[in-house]
Amino acid sequence: MKERIWVKSTAHLFLLLGSLVMLFPFIWTICTSLKDSSEVFTYPPKFFGEQLKWGNYERMTERFPFYQFFFNSLKITVIVVIAQLITSSMAGFVFARLRFRGRDGLFGLYLATLMVPAQVTMIPTFLLMKYYGLLDTHWSLILPGAVSAFGTFLLRQFFIGIPSALEEAAKIDGCTPFGIYWRIFIPLSQPALATLGIFITMGTWNDFINPLVFLSSMDKMTLTLGLANMQGLYSTDWPALMAATVITVLPILIVFLMAQDAFVKGVTLSGLKGE
Amino acid sequence: MQRKLFYKDGFWATVMLLPNIVGFLMFLLLPVLATFVISFSNWDMIDAFKFNGLTNYKHLTEDPVFHQVLGNTFYFTLVSVPIGIALSLLLAVFLNQKLKFIRFYRAAFFLPVISSMVAVSVIWQWIYNPEFGLLNYALSFLGIDGPTWLTSASWAMPAVIATSIWKSLGFNMLIFLAGLQSISDDYYEAASIDGASKVRQFFSITVPLLSPTTFFVTVMSIINSFQVFDAVYLMTQGGPARSTSVLVYYIFQNAFQYFQMGYASAMAYVLFFIVLIITLIQFWRQKKISIY
Amino acid sequence: MKKRAMAPVMILLLMLAMLASACGSSESNNGSGDPVNADKNNASENGKEQEKEQITLKFMGWEVSPLETESVKKGLERFMQENPHIKVEYTTIPGGTQYVAKMQALELGGEAPDVYFLQSDYYRDFAEAGRLLDITDKVNAEGLAADLIDSAVELSTVDGKYFGIESCIVAPVMFYNKDLFDKAGVPYPPSSPDQAWTWEQFVEVAKQMTVKNGDNVEQYGVYGLENYYMTIAAIMSNGGNWFTEDLTASAANTPEVKEVLTAISDLRKVHGASPEAKLLTNSGMSAAQMLQTGKIAMLIEGSWGLQEIANMNFNVGMAVLPKFDEAITHGQAHLHVASANTEHPEEAWQLIKFLSSESYQLQNVKAGLWLPNHKSLYTEEGIAKWLTDGVHPEGFTDLIPYFLNSKTYPYAMLSSQRIQDNTTAELDKFFYGAQSVDDTVKNIEKQTNDILASKK
Repeated sequence: MKERIWVKSTAHLFLLLGSLVMLFPFIWTICTSLKDSSEVFTYPPKFFGEQLKWGNYERMTERFPFYQFFFNSLKITVIVVIAQLITSSMAGFVFARLRFRGRDGLFGLYLATLMVPAQVTMIPTFLLMKYYGLLDTHWSLILPGAVSAFGTFLLRQFFIGIPSALEEAAKIDGCTPFGIYWRIFIPLSQPALATLGIFITMGTWNDFINPLVFLSSMDKMTLTLGLANMQGLYSTDWPALMAATVITVLPILIVFLMAQDAFVKGVTLSGLKGE
Repeated sequence: MQRKLFYKDGFWATVMLLPNIVGFLMFLLLPVLATFVISFSNWDMIDAFKFNGLTNYKHLTEDPVFHQVLGNTFYFTLVSVPIGIALSLLLAVFLNQKLKFIRFYRAAFFLPVISSMVAVSVIWQWIYNPEFGLLNYALSFLGIDGPTWLTSASWAMPAVIATSIWKSLGFNMLIFLAGLQSISDDYYEAASIDGASKVRQFFSITVPLLSPTTFFVTVMSIINSFQVFDAVYLMTQGGPARSTSVLVYYIFQNAFQYFQMGYASAMAYVLFFIVLIITLIQFWRQKKISIY
Repeated sequence: MKKRAMAPVMILLLMLAMLASACGSSESNNGSGDPVNADKNNASENGKEQEKEQITLKFMGWEVSPLETESVKKGLERFMQENPHIKVEYTTIPGGTQYVAKMQALELGGEAPDVYFLQSDYYRDFAEAGRLLDITDKVNAEGLAADLIDSAVELSTVDGKYFGIESCIVAPVMFYNKDLFDKAGVPYPPSSPDQAWTWEQFVEVAKQMTVKNGDNVEQYGVYGLENYYMTIAAIMSNGGNWFTEDLTASAANTPEVKEVLTAISDLRKVHGASPEAKLLTNSGMSAAQMLQTGKIAMLIEGSWGLQEIANMNFNVGMAVLPKFDEAITHGQAHLHVASANTEHPEEAWQLIKFLSSESYQLQNVKAGLWLPNHKSLYTEEGIAKWLTDGVHPEGFTDLIPYFLNSKTYPYAMLSSQRIQDNTTAELDKFFYGAQSVDDTVKNIEKQTNDILASKK
């Protein structure tokens, strides 16, 4: 028992110090977003300015169609998250559990596409988008976003780890592979699905290069693109830039906090294992 | 007859893969294949497309900048991947405990991942600033006269690596955490009854059962670190004197600043084959050491 | 059992939905890409103009300051009032390399906007690739070039042809904090090119203006010279250049260049009068803020800095750069160009003409962001149109001949991105590493000549 307390307090100390290091730049971002621009670079550094300047936030939202961009980002992100979770979990299941000819080769091809940097595939992708007639539409972000080699790979790895005993029992009960996927793998993979969900949210929400290249009309642009525009505009207005950063991070933070439940509760396999 | 088909793996594999494969072919594979073709051409996006065989690849062997950035990329990967994985695994194990404030800790470690690299790079540039920055201010209390970090040819890369690890720690931590969560408590309970210590449990239960996750994290970390771009682009632009210039940054410069798409594509495929070989070795090891 | 049977149906539906939506959107996109459709929007706006066909021009740029964006928008409103049959859709995307990447993609896909901004050091690449609309005849017919200063004409023409017109000029100059000079009792730096300091005088003042507290430097004399852009003016002033006159070879390995590089490096390494250039830009603190807060007394910066500095409420002065032989600066700025693919070459030209007009230029010139490239704006009468109290500091008129005679920015005259990157890398080794000046210029010369030779 003594050992447990010792372990726990070490853990707390380690984690607390660690989270301070991790959080510091973010706290700094929030503090800076509330300063006057003349107070940003004082030395020695100070956390707070004379006054809290909420005006920095208003300035950011007034300068461009903030709500329109926000809505565009939201719409794209929600659709992509749902679509990609479906396609990736099904494909991940197939690659992890089903046997058919050419499976490993096909999976290798998925992995291979991850190894070519986006910087060189950008122009061919742009030309393809034009060929598909998707340029300057939100579909140019949604359709490619609906499929991901990363997501497929991630879920395949998690599905591999699920004990096959469960599957055998279900097969005897007369489940189809889809039934097994739907009734056993999906419920058991909540943490993995939540993890991937957060990653997709993050990747889609923060995506900069794809909207930059594919979108050209002001009314279609996403929040990240709009904010990047602002960054050129306010290259020395640090408080406004930091306000922008806080605004972009908040939605993902909220998603993360909500999805945390999936980890906290976790899933106990123990009840099923004995069957 | 129908019933038989219904239970066949091949049928279900086709049905369940179809939406994924359609998108994969249309949006992921085609551009990658196109790039491969372009790598054998002199395409500058201006003059007519002309194949030039292996000329680009031959040029690469003679390009001193390419050799330098390749070296820098290996440096970045060899340092950042092992440290990043070890730290994030350790962290995930800690964060998988039933501790107070666990939600706060998890959110804290994950925050850097979701912040935009642009803002992060600004703050870190300020932290690394030798005259007004926080790091050297802190070091001065220890009586250390800190280096000039981002403008020092020998310290810029470690500084970029540290920022990158800081930024991606939470990413791998979360994947490990999800992996740990799917290991049944029964294993640990059984081990505890047998009197195995926590450390022993970690190596005899956690490590082997986590191996699909570890494998994933390792493969992805290597792929990502070989493709590091944002941190360099935003913090140092490859400087000073190209000491932090990495492969993808040079690829980007060739493609969009020097108008040499063919050459850039050839470089991308050299990168591809390097990563491919490393990944294949990992797959082979994975097959050898585990049942999966 | 029921659930099981439903599953494949649901998947099929899902896939159909995906396919159907892909088709649907492609149709709608083709529709909006057709410029004829856009006519409907403003056809009824003005009854009298009905006879002219309504068209929409797409115009793209980047944003560098809220002021510039405002003035672009105001200018476009005026343009649309004057030309009721033309509607301009202005879109901004992030600038820099990303902007060029996007433009290349758009041009390649035949999707480029009708008119757009283009950085001067990419202008020749785009023009030579046939991406840009040749407007030579129109420029000549209007006699537009007659009023442009020499460097503007030189920069806007490629083999005697116009593919765009330079928006304005910006030039490296010196800003200084007057209060710091008053406190030290040192005379202000001269604004008139005739009275420009020699390099030795400048070094003396920079040393005088460096304030130390023990080992700690509290105030540096000068900042801003240690990069290839800022070295150009000094090298030109010493009778040299980074390139030979016909731009076919490097002129780095010359006594003129070596003298300048050594002098700039000595300013920090020997005299301790300058902070390490990169340190400060990397701190995120803008150079103007350093000048304002008294961390530096003199700042070598592009003239565009005036707009920001003028709004910072401190006592600022502007001066010519110190000279080696002759007081010289150079000018360049982004160009307004039209895509070769535009369906409305006539209207695109109208817009370019408007954007290069005196009245359009005035807005940004008045605010200190731009310097005019119209000769007519450098006459006494012309200057009166834009010289603004509270923006242009006292003695600014003394600087006029300096800008009027500014030389052409050499890197804009050839396809130079790789040369710029290589030069920066070598200069880093010289300024921040231990590489000797001889090795530095030799390396730059060799690499530059290799690149220039491979282009031929």
